[in-house]
Amino acid sequence: MTLSPAEYVSLSLGDIRTGLDRRHFSARELAEAAFATIEVLEEDRVDAFLSLTPELALRAADEVDAQLAAGSSAAEIGLLAGVPLGFKDNMNLLGSFTTCGSRMLENYRSTLSATCVSKALAAGALPVGKLNLDEFAFGSSTETSAFKKTRNPWDLERVPGGSSGGSAAAVAAGMLAASLGSDTGGSIRQPASFCGVVGFKPSYGVVSRSGVVAFGSSLDQVGPFARSVADAAAVADAICGYDPLDCTSQDVPRNFSASARAGQTEGIKGMRVGVVAEYLEAPGITPEVVSAFKGALRRVENLGATVVELELPNAHAALSAYYVIGPCEAFSNLSRFDAVRYGFCVEGATNLTEQYEQSRAQGFGLETKRRILLGNYLLSSGVYTTYYYPAQQVRTLITQDYHRAFEQADVLLTPTSPRTAFRFGEVSEPTSMHLSDIFTIPINIAGNGGLNLPVGLGEESGLPIGLQIIGPQFKDTNILRVAAALEATYDIERLAPQSRELREQHGVAHGGASSSVSNGVPNGSTLTCGASADGNSSDGAAA
Amino acid sequence: MKSLETVLQEWEAVIGLEVHTELTTLNSKMFCSCKVEYGAPPNTHVCPVCLGMPGTLPVPNRAAIESIVLAGLATGCAIEKHSMFYRKHYFYPDMAKNFQTTQGPVAFCMRGGLDLEVLGASAGERAHLEGTTPLAPEEGYRTRIGITRIHLEEDAGKLVHVGGESGRIAGADYSLVDYNRCGTPLMELVTEPDLRTPEEARLFLQKLRTIYLTLAISNCSMEQGSLRCDGNVSLRPRGSEKLGTKTELKNMNSFKNLHDGLAFEICRQAGILEEGGRVIQETRHWEPASRRTISMRSKETVDDYRLFPDPDLTPYHLSDEFIARVGARLPELPDARVGRYVAECALSPADARALADDIDLARFFDAALATVPGETVPADEIRTEAVPTDEAHAQAEIKGVAPDSPAMGSTTAAELAKPLANLLLNEVNAYLNAEQVALAQTRLEPQHLAELARLIADGTISSKQGREVLALVFAKGISPGELVEELGIKQVSDTGQIETVAHTVLSNNADKVAEYRAGKTGLLGFFVGEAIKATGGTANPKLLNQTFQRLLN
Repeated sequence: MTLSPAEYVSLSLGDIRTGLDRRHFSARELAEAAFATIEVLEEDRVDAFLSLTPELALRAADEVDAQLAAGSSAAEIGLLAGVPLGFKDNMNLLGSFTTCGSRMLENYRSTLSATCVSKALAAGALPVGKLNLDEFAFGSSTETSAFKKTRNPWDLERVPGGSSGGSAAAVAAGMLAASLGSDTGGSIRQPASFCGVVGFKPSYGVVSRSGVVAFGSSLDQVGPFARSVADAAAVADAICGYDPLDCTSQDVPRNFSASARAGQTEGIKGMRVGVVAEYLEAPGITPEVVSAFKGALRRVENLGATVVELELPNAHAALSAYYVIGPCEAFSNLSRFDAVRYGFCVEGATNLTEQYEQSRAQGFGLETKRRILLGNYLLSSGVYTTYYYPAQQVRTLITQDYHRAFEQADVLLTPTSPRTAFRFGEVSEPTSMHLSDIFTIPINIAGNGGLNLPVGLGEESGLPIGLQIIGPQFKDTNILRVAAALEATYDIERLAPQSRELREQHGVAHGGASSSVSNGVPNGSTLTCGASADGNSSDGAAA
Repeated sequence: MKSLETVLQEWEAVIGLEVHTELTTLNSKMFCSCKVEYGAPPNTHVCPVCLGMPGTLPVPNRAAIESIVLAGLATGCAIEKHSMFYRKHYFYPDMAKNFQTTQGPVAFCMRGGLDLEVLGASAGERAHLEGTTPLAPEEGYRTRIGITRIHLEEDAGKLVHVGGESGRIAGADYSLVDYNRCGTPLMELVTEPDLRTPEEARLFLQKLRTIYLTLAISNCSMEQGSLRCDGNVSLRPRGSEKLGTKTELKNMNSFKNLHDGLAFEICRQAGILEEGGRVIQETRHWEPASRRTISMRSKETVDDYRLFPDPDLTPYHLSDEFIARVGARLPELPDARVGRYVAECALSPADARALADDIDLARFFDAALATVPGETVPADEIRTEAVPTDEAHAQAEIKGVAPDSPAMGSTTAAELAKPLANLLLNEVNAYLNAEQVALAQTRLEPQHLAELARLIADGTISSKQGREVLALVFAKGISPGELVEELGIKQVSDTGQIETVAHTVLSNNADKVAEYRAGKTGLLGFFVGEAIKATGGTANPKLLNQTFQRLLN
């Protein structure tokens, strides 16, 4: 039997596990279905992928099938057995190109696999392809990619957010059940918010950075996109942990899935949920975002949690610190792209300096050059003490703010982004673009974990709105517990409308062969017309 | 140009050194597990990490940190418990990442120093001794050279410029890069500007090298570039406190080049200053062939390396236990060795220093002494192999006939120390210099040298015969005892034979005997010489002396 795109698009990780165990489909059929779905939805529509790796995916699928045939259950094979997975194209995958969305690395073939990639593959994932991003992850809309515009599956005229726009869009469109992204200032959470999926950035150090092309080494963190909290937790479990190749990585217990389950079964009664009042007056925040956020707070209270008001006195300086530390690290990390050993190299340079200058001038895009120049300036002698050094001091203060705040609360809630997805070209000023990350950036500065949970569609825009759930550093389990509990109170479709149409055209009412809701999590398989809008209005009614 | 001696009468040279040492004895590079090996085919010891491929991260080499802590402890440095790696940025193809990972303001080792004994001719370069501790008259002086810091970093790759002139990048047709060396753990030691003469600089580097070799943290080969030294030098009029403009001197890849390069640069600067000119702050290259320094690049503007803490490497917090554990591994250092050689082996301070300063000789000396039991024992019991019967008999005979000779029959380690040291410092050194080989490359074994020293000390063979035997040991690699046996070159110590020869000499030189008895006692040497000649050099001179004295008086 073959698995049709209509059946494939809304499969959850639980559906895949059950389907494999019950022989409703094979891993090879899953891989084939993934590519068939991509063929329908990708080109000139979502455009999430920079490259596809069918050979790798099919080989991995055959291995999973062989293990199944030998008597292993999917769970025994690994947490991600048979799960078609995509990787942001700043993650090295042996056998693939890793372009970082830049001309500079257009023809760069990976010489290794990133640890997060290897771990996912070791857990049985099928590597489907590499996903579009802002060039070197510099951006919040995926528009700075040198190769293509990725469209938001909810509205193809709009950006998917960024920088992990491809990773978010592919999951929202149903081309993948899950994907990996990286988050330096919100690059997982903001596109997850724009595309209406779950995006989880664990605390700094939980997932190894080895093999992920660095942007801001002290800020970068890898995490999953999925259409449910349980699925995101499972992927996080598969890729987390200490890595001898990354000395900033941490040994954390692998209990994200368990925490998500605890959220569903035991709830969050008695937990303390922090909010910062002035965040709701942040510049550019839209009324529909405020409304959805307030609705989420009421649900949290209804679940028996206590809402406490917190102060983060130094958080306002986070953006300034971020736009010093980020470019400084980026300038340094991108120095290696010099056209000597690999990467874009101009022809006809007559000396070394010319080769450096012309190759970098032509190989890098505008936003990349802006950050390199900025970092280069900020680290120069005399300037260093005015910007970089104070930025690090500010960072310490902000970290202390969060530390104190989490003495009073188990999680902190904010909107993920002040607004919903914008149209292509709508935000062209770099500084305005940076504003879409005001709620996410401080979390990278402090090193905590954060997760985007879709909480409905905007009353005005009709586009997905996200809630950011932040936890104490290295207690990301709090986040997953609250996220899963809160998720269960919503009846929100995670699959973008056009993919729902695809599913309906083929007359499939429920995603996957297994109609059961895996782990009890609503995984988007229940389709209610206007469910999201209802969700919001019901929040409004409760006001 | 004036001579160095003349210049240093009026000017004070202020010299500081930067010494780079590759930790060649480690199994892997600073931030990856590639092998450290000199002379391997180009780009065979490389991996994505040391090639700086996108996405790779550094993982610090723990053994390298242990090595630098050892170096710091051995040079009197304070070990900084809290330090970090920084990134130092500059674009050059030998740096795969275009930044070098190095340390920032705080290095693993800070504020150390070495005491330098400047003796004999070396002391002569220093015209004024203020600030030093003069040693016994004519002997020299002692001076302390401060060490600012020792930090850990990674070495760059090697560039080969093909075509064009002078092998420089400018004008080359193309350049080749070998990344084998890229990422090799490199220690950089910076001295205070405490050195005043090129000779002090040379001695400092020599002493440092001996210490590093003693610690076994590097092979310290200036030829292979695992020990590299740059010098900063400026002049100021005697009595002035103000520092002059300095130049940085590179390419001094031997101790002689270090001395000669600095000496030239001091004289060059004096020439400029005495003509009313101004020294330009720049990097200069010592050209040994033409014996001059040439300008490499002007350093009027300070390079901006955009140093900032490496976010991929977490800060270090060395525990007291870690430092103590490393400290427990500290071997006996050269200064302590000198003390021991003087106190326990009764060597002269000069001999002790000469031995201790040559790590190969010192280790060989200690190994040779270790083959000699500490207590007084019969010489023939030293042998570990079965002794041929007739040799044992001969030994017994010697003992029997010359019971009063203290050097005979038995020797202790302490008694052997001096002849051993003499053999090493004179005969062995001369051989090594003549053959241009290292001690380890020869067939000489420590027990062989100990045996030879004993054979000389107990009078079995003469010093002259000892030289001949040593040459044969080097050539054949067999034990001196066997050689002596094989060649029959044993010294004649039989009192009967000696007395017969003495009588013959005396009866052949009746006139001289009369002169002697008339008071010309200096003729004793003549009689001994005649007797040695008559025995073909085999007669024991000491016994001859005693016999002639007895017969003549």
